[in-house]
Amino acid sequence: MSIAPSGTEVALTGPVGQVIASLGSAVVEVEFCDERRGMARIDPVRTVEVASTMLAMDGARLVTATGLEVRDGIDVLYHWAVEPAGIVVTLKALATRPGLELDSVANVVPAADWIEREMHDLLGANFPGHPDMRRLILDDSWPEGVYPLRKGFDQVTDRPALPPNRTPPDVLTPQEAPPGPGTAGQIKHPGKTMINIGPFHPLQEEAEFFQLYVDGETVVDVDVRISYNHRGIEKLDESKTFDQVPFVVERVCGICSASHPLAYVQAVEEIAHVEVPERALYLRTIVNELERLHSHLLWVGLAGHFLGYNTVFMWAWKYREPVMDVLEIATGSRVTYANCKIGGVRRDMTDEQLAQIDKAVTELQGPMEMITNVVLDDPVLHARLKKVGVLSAADAKAYGATGPTARGSDVPIDVRRDDPYAAYDRLDWKVITAPGGDVFGKAVVRLLENFEAVKIIKQCCAHLRGTKGEIDAKVEAIPPGEGVGHVEAPRGETFHYVRSDGSNRPVRHKIRAPSFVNVPTFKASCIGLQVPDVAITLASVDPCYSCTERLCSVVDAENPHRRLGFKELVKLSQEKTRKMRKEW
Amino acid sequence: MALTKLKNWALRKSLWVYHVNAGACNNCDIEVLDLLTPRYDIERFGMLLVGSPRHADVLAVTGTCTRQAMPRVQEVYMQTPRPCVVMAIGSCALAQGIFAESYHMGPKVDEAIRAVDPEAIIMYVPGCPPKPEAMISAAVKAMEFLKQL
Repeated sequence: MSIAPSGTEVALTGPVGQVIASLGSAVVEVEFCDERRGMARIDPVRTVEVASTMLAMDGARLVTATGLEVRDGIDVLYHWAVEPAGIVVTLKALATRPGLELDSVANVVPAADWIEREMHDLLGANFPGHPDMRRLILDDSWPEGVYPLRKGFDQVTDRPALPPNRTPPDVLTPQEAPPGPGTAGQIKHPGKTMINIGPFHPLQEEAEFFQLYVDGETVVDVDVRISYNHRGIEKLDESKTFDQVPFVVERVCGICSASHPLAYVQAVEEIAHVEVPERALYLRTIVNELERLHSHLLWVGLAGHFLGYNTVFMWAWKYREPVMDVLEIATGSRVTYANCKIGGVRRDMTDEQLAQIDKAVTELQGPMEMITNVVLDDPVLHARLKKVGVLSAADAKAYGATGPTARGSDVPIDVRRDDPYAAYDRLDWKVITAPGGDVFGKAVVRLLENFEAVKIIKQCCAHLRGTKGEIDAKVEAIPPGEGVGHVEAPRGETFHYVRSDGSNRPVRHKIRAPSFVNVPTFKASCIGLQVPDVAITLASVDPCYSCTERLCSVVDAENPHRRLGFKELVKLSQEKTRKMRKEW
Repeated sequence: MALTKLKNWALRKSLWVYHVNAGACNNCDIEVLDLLTPRYDIERFGMLLVGSPRHADVLAVTGTCTRQAMPRVQEVYMQTPRPCVVMAIGSCALAQGIFAESYHMGPKVDEAIRAVDPEAIIMYVPGCPPKPEAMISAAVKAMEFLKQL
């Protein structure tokens, strides 16, 4: 969207206009308003009031916030989505120098907790009133007062000195913990037994460090430290041209490597008002749905493994291979597809390739039905997964959960339907939801979504076969402006915000991956659980766990010699299933 | 001397692998995991993914080695009984790939490990990500290398 010059009156029309109008006098200036996107500047001292008004609105959730250094301070852009209208309203508040302060909204909107910590780490913005302003993104040894996303920071020449070799491990007693901003070694509840999961750990997409505080068998609190996987992609993108960025963002996450570039190019296409050729829209849909298929099968397999059903693990991964094969046939690579570009796609698909894709997904239906029935009809799995790790619909909204994590809590949000992109509005498919909010619900959503994905792919193949057409709108320059793009990745909504100043590089590129909002829901879903149920609950939001075994230990705060490895945790989980199976 | 011989003999077959994600995008990681499943089935070479570096003969390291991961990767390496082979998998583990210029990068994986053990045996599997076949080929080469020790 290109912004009207300052002082121009923007008419408040449609649902976006209603949303902005409902904020009343808190809105200082409306910058942009059309059918689905809005942008307004709000009074910086009234951020909390605006946040609570927005959260109370039907179907509204905080997607994320973007911090951006400008001349007078740091501009904080709160992106709110309202579903099912499918609109994204960006509310801007300026934190002025020298204090760079804005009241924290994390107390009214839990979804803002992590993002405010991130902006504090990377930009030095301050959020007085934040409940837990510890370091989140940067590493333990990073010096205070150095903010990598500031414009004056050069990512190569201004790097601080590296941490010393073999610095102490993450698990320390309170006496040993060094003073400093990092969470490593900080113990929130001394006296409670603490279970450390991580930092090298199979359940997480990124190496993360979880601390579970337990009372007997029951989890009373969860704490998390990330940073192990922080690769500074947002800063890196500012040094790449618009055309190079898709190659970087498809390496944000290897399992969402079709969704991230698509969200990015949609944001840029919004800035440049690009009309993407119809054929390219269908081709994008095919690759994205194939990705969803392989990702969901991957999840089903690993979930099976954690519950002691290794047969499910082997089967699901065996049937996933044909999907990888057709992805390789169509794009040239099993996992990094590089097919999405601004204005269209890079490669067309021939009729022969389309036929192969069609055949592969058709043959997948039988095995998928078998796996689905195995899971849905198994009384032990019902006993093991139902009413476990419950995320209520209200919590899902407050934490801003997306994708199968929200749909498993009966929150019917899906970007593909609400704010259609690619060819989803031209195809026949439905949004899958499940009641309950438990692990079982999330599993059901993923299993049934596979069938919808097959349906979508088959329709696209049928539409494209035997036809030819343009696949690229040939975009030459990106005008100044701001754009948002969001895509329903297998794990939930991935959200990109791009700002252009008319040069050949983005001035700011903000990426919010689905796990960033889904991971914190553990706080709501893990507390009160038994320890053997935690492994599967952590896995239920599908934070793309990478490999089977890493470092994990359970430490008794009073007796540091008692340790349980992750292996033992999985064993506990598997034993519980076995015990239940006997009872049945 | 005899002890070294015994150690090397013990490494000839059935390599056990511990997987370390030092800040990867998950591409290499899912492909490593894929090796265990029916299509590629690396267990036919006697290889096994294990849950602790103390049981491992091979460290499969993926990812860029970020500042936060660097000391932890070194710690994991020091916990692995020597001789062990460090298999740096993917462009990131080789030379930090597309992320080389980023501010949160630590040293490259091989530099991080050589900093704590200059004698470390490191092998490189290029690709972004390497195909599972390339990883199997690397594993077989590792076995052949260990036979010569």
